[in-house]
Amino acid sequence: MSAGLENVLKKQKEQLVSLPQKDKIDEDIMQLVGFIVGEEEYAIPILSIQEIIKPIDFTRVPSTPEFVLGVFNLRGNVIPLIDLRKKFTLPNKPIDSDTRYIVLKDGENIAGFVIDKLTEAIRIKKSQIEEIPETMTKKDGFIYGIGKRDRGIITILKVESLLKKDF
Amino acid sequence: MDELQEIREDFLIEAFELIEQMDQDLVELENDPDDLELLNRIFRVAHTVKGSSSFLNFDVLTELTHHMEDVLNKARKDELKITPEIMDVILESVDMMKGLLEAIRDSGSDDCGIEIKDICGRFDAISNGEDVPSADAKADEEVEQECQAQVEDAPEEKQMSEEELANLTDEEVEAEIERLLAEKQKEKQEKKAKKKATTSEQPKQQKPAPAKKVAKKDNKDKKVSSQPEQTIRVEVSRLDNLMNLIGELVLGKNRLLKIYDDVEERYEGEKFLEELNQVVSSVSLVTTDLQIAVMKTRMLPIAKVFNKFPRLVRDLSRELDKDIELIMSGEETELDKSIIEEIGDPLVHMIRNSCDHGVESKEKRKEAGKDTKGTVHLKAYNEGNQIVIEIKDDGAGMDPDFLKMKAMDKGIVSEKEIENMSDKEAYGLIFKPGFSTAAKVTGVSGRGVGMDVVKTNIEKLNGIIDIESVLGEGTTFKLKIPLTLAIMQALLVQAQEEYFAIPLASVLETVRINFDEIYTIDGKNVLKLRNEILPLARLSDMFEVEKVLDDGEQVYVVVIGVAESKLGIIVDGLVGQEEVVIKSMGEYLQGIEGIAGATIRGDGGVTLIADVSAMMDIAKNLNVNLVAEAEASQTREKNSPSDYNVLIVDDSKTDRAIMQKGLKPLGINIVEATNGVEALELLKRGDVLYDAMLIDIEMPQMDGYTLASEIRKYSKYKNLPLLAVTSRSSKSDRLRGVEVGMTEYITKPYSLEYLANTVSRNIKLPVGVAS
Repeated sequence: MSAGLENVLKKQKEQLVSLPQKDKIDEDIMQLVGFIVGEEEYAIPILSIQEIIKPIDFTRVPSTPEFVLGVFNLRGNVIPLIDLRKKFTLPNKPIDSDTRYIVLKDGENIAGFVIDKLTEAIRIKKSQIEEIPETMTKKDGFIYGIGKRDRGIITILKVESLLKKDF
Repeated sequence: MDELQEIREDFLIEAFELIEQMDQDLVELENDPDDLELLNRIFRVAHTVKGSSSFLNFDVLTELTHHMEDVLNKARKDELKITPEIMDVILESVDMMKGLLEAIRDSGSDDCGIEIKDICGRFDAISNGEDVPSADAKADEEVEQECQAQVEDAPEEKQMSEEELANLTDEEVEAEIERLLAEKQKEKQEKKAKKKATTSEQPKQQKPAPAKKVAKKDNKDKKVSSQPEQTIRVEVSRLDNLMNLIGELVLGKNRLLKIYDDVEERYEGEKFLEELNQVVSSVSLVTTDLQIAVMKTRMLPIAKVFNKFPRLVRDLSRELDKDIELIMSGEETELDKSIIEEIGDPLVHMIRNSCDHGVESKEKRKEAGKDTKGTVHLKAYNEGNQIVIEIKDDGAGMDPDFLKMKAMDKGIVSEKEIENMSDKEAYGLIFKPGFSTAAKVTGVSGRGVGMDVVKTNIEKLNGIIDIESVLGEGTTFKLKIPLTLAIMQALLVQAQEEYFAIPLASVLETVRINFDEIYTIDGKNVLKLRNEILPLARLSDMFEVEKVLDDGEQVYVVVIGVAESKLGIIVDGLVGQEEVVIKSMGEYLQGIEGIAGATIRGDGGVTLIADVSAMMDIAKNLNVNLVAEAEASQTREKNSPSDYNVLIVDDSKTDRAIMQKGLKPLGINIVEATNGVEALELLKRGDVLYDAMLIDIEMPQMDGYTLASEIRKYSKYKNLPLLAVTSRSSKSDRLRGVEVGMTEYITKPYSLEYLANTVSRNIKLPVGVAS
């Protein structure tokens, strides 16, 4: 009886130990959402994305830099809208059927970002992500790293920097 | 330990309330030292605090209240007469009690270095019937011995108590709580009984009393009867949450109303509309009621702030050696908790100001033939959606010229500014930081800080300060403050094609003026409204709204008031009044100048709420001269035909080519558009100013009639010649053309000369320059 019980307890303990290991394997993979702004493909960790919506009307806010388009109503919350093209100093492009707002979240800080087109959900091993080359680090610090994939590379953006008020 | 913590918190809340009441009672007692009821009440406070603090092992506090109780007890039994000197000691000890309680609240212990031995000694002396020794004299006598005695005692006691505390079992604690509760209950009942008894007694005592006291007692009676039988304490955060939810509901209601309007328009006369109407109105009614009900749960009587003022005025009058009486009314007026918290400080400064600068010294009053006793009235009342707090003194009043001179001396304003300054604006000078009329810095005033604090705090609350003063008779300050901050009434205005909400509490009036009523003084635009000169600024300039339309002959001006200053804002349209719920725009867009927040409108769009006090600052720094601008745009010079621009709107390429051909001899600049939408875009872009438009009627997307009526919506294009070029020549077509604002009708087919002549006539092409 007591031996049986001990066995069960032991098994449970083993399970407890092995669980985090399984998690660890998952941790090694980063889940991203890819999208296009201008000519390039970027990605953002899926956990930072609150939602992705089709373009809706927004209201301009005075005394803000050009890349802040204004604010919009997301189910009763007033949320800032930022144009990533303008933020990356790319030429303007009118809104079309592919344009989306990606609503990003970092704690309490929320903002919507205008992107040209969504591409796909991406799973990438952390080992496949490289820090950006030193010569490029100056680029405003928006970049978390470069993901290497079978076909080309993808720029992973840093959500905290995107959501940081820099004006 | 947790239960003890709870008891301690309850004790603190109760004690602070009791002491506030005590403060007021004491001052009243000084005026009427024989009022036994007052004495009893004060005694009970000391007693209650002593009882609870000894249970909670606050030894210092216990000791202090114990001595206080002794003296009060003697006074109560008529063994002692309360003299102003004794009162000073008692009041000082009340202040110490406050200090101790604050220390308990902050650190959990009353061992915070507040020295009570001296005052206890003085209490002893009083109760022994000796003269009141001054604080210094006393210090020499007993302090030493007592000091030693206490130092020996105290630590031991303290340790004991802590041990005791730890040893208390749950049952014991509970038993103790019950005992305390029972005691309190009994006390309450006693209090009530006594109060009832005294109300019937009061008339007898009142007879010789002055009128003011009657008023005060009336108030007190009211308070007793309006005291709720049952109350519960609710965490403020829960109420805040409730308020937020109500905010959402109000937005939903606004949306529903808007949708109902649309539905009504579309399905006019349908049966179900009636039913829908009933539901919509009842939902909207209930929402409004609910909103008011929840707002009321957050309301506190302003007495909470007023209560400390009798004491303040008493202290001030002793300090300044003036005889000042404070008369308060409307203490029961209720205000939102958050506003109550903000309003205390400004009021203290206002009252200090009235006592120090308003009411003159006894000698001066005598000279002026006034009663040596000065009065300061403090009055609160409701006025619409606002509460008004009035501070009125019967002092010297303000001399606008003197204020101007002082302000100039201090370099706060320039000579030029002073020239155009009205009396009211001169009164406003007292709110400038660094301004003070006091000859020297005293403990009460002279630093020029106080009134600046008033202004900042009132501005924060979207309040208005109104000043009236008659030299020699006194000054009245009126603070007008909105009842609540979260949901408010706003005036929606239009700047070009954008909308903004201005808090209605800050809007004084709206007027429609002719452009030529705007004057320029010192490069700034002003409006003469009745007898006042108002600075003017255009909303679209303040908020960098892209200019698509021009001002017409007449403009709307919204006059806003912030604290003591006013500003006229030129808007392009008044949309209406709406209830708005203030929403933050998130961390990312915090602190944008001129914007207080955003709200969601009935149609789901976001509208920004203007921050009126920031708008004042923005307006000051604007450098747009409207008059000069208007003149410049009128005298645009045209030297050659190519300075004239004509827009051709036609979907047929052939037709456009024919028109081009016809107009070519004129040598004017021609721009083409293929349909109404495109033409409107070109017009709005505004890079080219058109002198005339040739419009085809039959066009895809937007036809000529619609285009014309759209163009006529902009006051800028009210006089732009619109020439319809069409084969539709029936009378009804022509009539329609006139209706939508076409200037002339050119029927196809036409001769090229006719076209050229009509156009050159309409754009007033000088004959000489036409080739």
